[in-house]
Amino acid sequence: MDRVKRQLLREAVSDNLDTIRGLPPRSLRTSRRLGHLFLRRAPLVIIPLMLASFAFLSNTGITSTRKPAAIPPPPAARHIEASAAPMLMTDTLEPVSASAFPLSVRRVVLDAGHGGTDPGASSISNVSEKEITLDIEKRLGVLLRQNGFEVIATRDNDRLIPLRERARLANGSHSDIFVSIHVNSIPHPDNHGVETYYLGPTNDPTLTKLAATENLTSGYALADLRKLLDGVYADVRRDESQRLAATVQHQLFSGLRGVDPGLENWGVKRAPFIVLVATEMPAILAEVGCLSNEREAEMLRSGAYRQQIAQALFHGIHAYASANDAPQKKGT
Amino acid sequence: MATDSEILHVGIDLGTSRSAISASNGERFVVDSFVGWPADMVAKKVLKRDVLIGHEAVANRTMLDLHRPLERGLLKEGSEKDVEAVRELLKHLLRLVGVSSNGKIDGSHVRAVVGVPAASLRTNKQYLRNSMKGIVDSLMIVSEPFAVAYGLNALLHTMIIDIGAGTTDFCVMKGRYPGEEDQRTLTVAGDSLDAQLLKLIEERYPQANVTVYMVREWKEKHSFVGEAPTRVLVTAPVKGVPTELDITNEMRAACETLVPPTVETMLDLLSRVEPEFQERVRNNIILSGGGGLIRNLSQTLETALKQVGGGKVTHMQDPVFVGSDGGLALALDAPDTDWEKLTA
Repeated sequence: MDRVKRQLLREAVSDNLDTIRGLPPRSLRTSRRLGHLFLRRAPLVIIPLMLASFAFLSNTGITSTRKPAAIPPPPAARHIEASAAPMLMTDTLEPVSASAFPLSVRRVVLDAGHGGTDPGASSISNVSEKEITLDIEKRLGVLLRQNGFEVIATRDNDRLIPLRERARLANGSHSDIFVSIHVNSIPHPDNHGVETYYLGPTNDPTLTKLAATENLTSGYALADLRKLLDGVYADVRRDESQRLAATVQHQLFSGLRGVDPGLENWGVKRAPFIVLVATEMPAILAEVGCLSNEREAEMLRSGAYRQQIAQALFHGIHAYASANDAPQKKGT
Repeated sequence: MATDSEILHVGIDLGTSRSAISASNGERFVVDSFVGWPADMVAKKVLKRDVLIGHEAVANRTMLDLHRPLERGLLKEGSEKDVEAVRELLKHLLRLVGVSSNGKIDGSHVRAVVGVPAASLRTNKQYLRNSMKGIVDSLMIVSEPFAVAYGLNALLHTMIIDIGAGTTDFCVMKGRYPGEEDQRTLTVAGDSLDAQLLKLIEERYPQANVTVYMVREWKEKHSFVGEAPTRVLVTAPVKGVPTELDITNEMRAACETLVPPTVETMLDLLSRVEPEFQERVRNNIILSGGGGLIRNLSQTLETALKQVGGGKVTHMQDPVFVGSDGGLALALDAPDTDWEKLTA
């Protein structure tokens, strides 16, 4: 059997293994595969290079707070292996564990959903989502700053910022995580609960509809979406987003249930919200309440309840950041 | 574990209209992709069978709950009866090549390569994989035109155009496993041609009693594009009286619906080939599938190629087994270590 046939067979088998594992098609994973390869072959040289080039290319002038100097240079031979990467693309690559990158969380982007001419959801008593999310964002920002985090807010007043602009702002700020705050409205007014999303496909038509509603002001053309999905680079970001979502959801539910015993835990979910697609860091979207439930809408009017939501979100972010810090301390 | 001599390798072209199987024991079969269950107790008594497959199912369709489990080359999702139908179809194909639960070869010793349309999604493949659980030991799913290319050893600088019933698949082979950018799938194919032909005949002969099955048979005998080789005369009942109908113009018009999308897709894929290899690909275009047998189609495609410098389109004389033979070649070439990873 000739070389071409052997190569084709390996690739056919590899494609089937991807199907068995439920991985997305290769074209959507090109960057991730390259990422895997580089991460496997020369992680220690790539990270400082990426950080340096990222800072260089940035037009915002904000530099990263991470310290590339702390990472030792790689052996030369391994670097050569990495440059030969395309020849090895057909290998079945093991996923990289996010725990291999114990990077601290220092800078947080807070994104108050909607604003300006886009009020988001509204309650019967005319409380709008845009107003609640902005207030919670401000309260959460204070808590985070008090605890040593840097905070970047996508909006600090009542104005409409396109989703695309929010993502650009977040990406330009070299932040570590992105937290988008929203308030739900569902067709069943008796139910109310909290849920947290991270980026991923969904088969649930309700979630598709919700994502479509939240993505209305994206400013992206359909053609851009493919490019964006191509740019969703790595398991690392997805896994970290999922972990952040789980931590925040846990704190949201446990923190708020004490005040509101009827609150339901709708869990961590995946959905293709534009702000999650277009941001380059671990990103989540938290639906912190439900305006369609009249009782909860009343609670959401009060500053005290909003403060409790902000605190629950803070505890979630803090717990996630602490877990990230832990192995780093262990190693030093 | 089975020894090599007991392991049967098979290539399966699971088609919307016909499914073919080629096995390493030299057996090859093709069946119509129809599965039917007796509609009631009377039908069961008359047919004396629990399930009918292929031509038998079509012939006895009035007594059957008839299913064509593949639509546009894909397993219909969400329909349990269609999943059951595709399982019956696969089991039938395997039985034809000697696989049975009480025979020398049972399903646990079968390694199968199944060809699916080029643009099948991961979910379609997973769905098919789930449906084949317990029928074969190991399973590899590949794009159908890739299987054709592999079987023909046309792996470098070639384009396969596989015109089936449900889909027309395009694949440019560049010496690597074809990715999304190398392949296209159109749903303009044999079935859409049948529907168009039926509509045109009904328009011209509103009194004639014509079914899609009759139309399919006429198409397989008389299809052409361009100049008619002979007049197409068929017989159909008109008010109950068998009557000769001239459907030459209708046949041409229906067959020619394939031409514009096929030409457009072919030229688009060609334009994406690296410029230095375009001429080689243009001169290595292979037409396979039942649609490849449409008279004058390869010449028509060659005419269209003149606008980009000319080229050569070859059609397979016997396209029935070209996909399943390619699948079998893949199955035989894959090493044991790979098969062990692909347990169904």
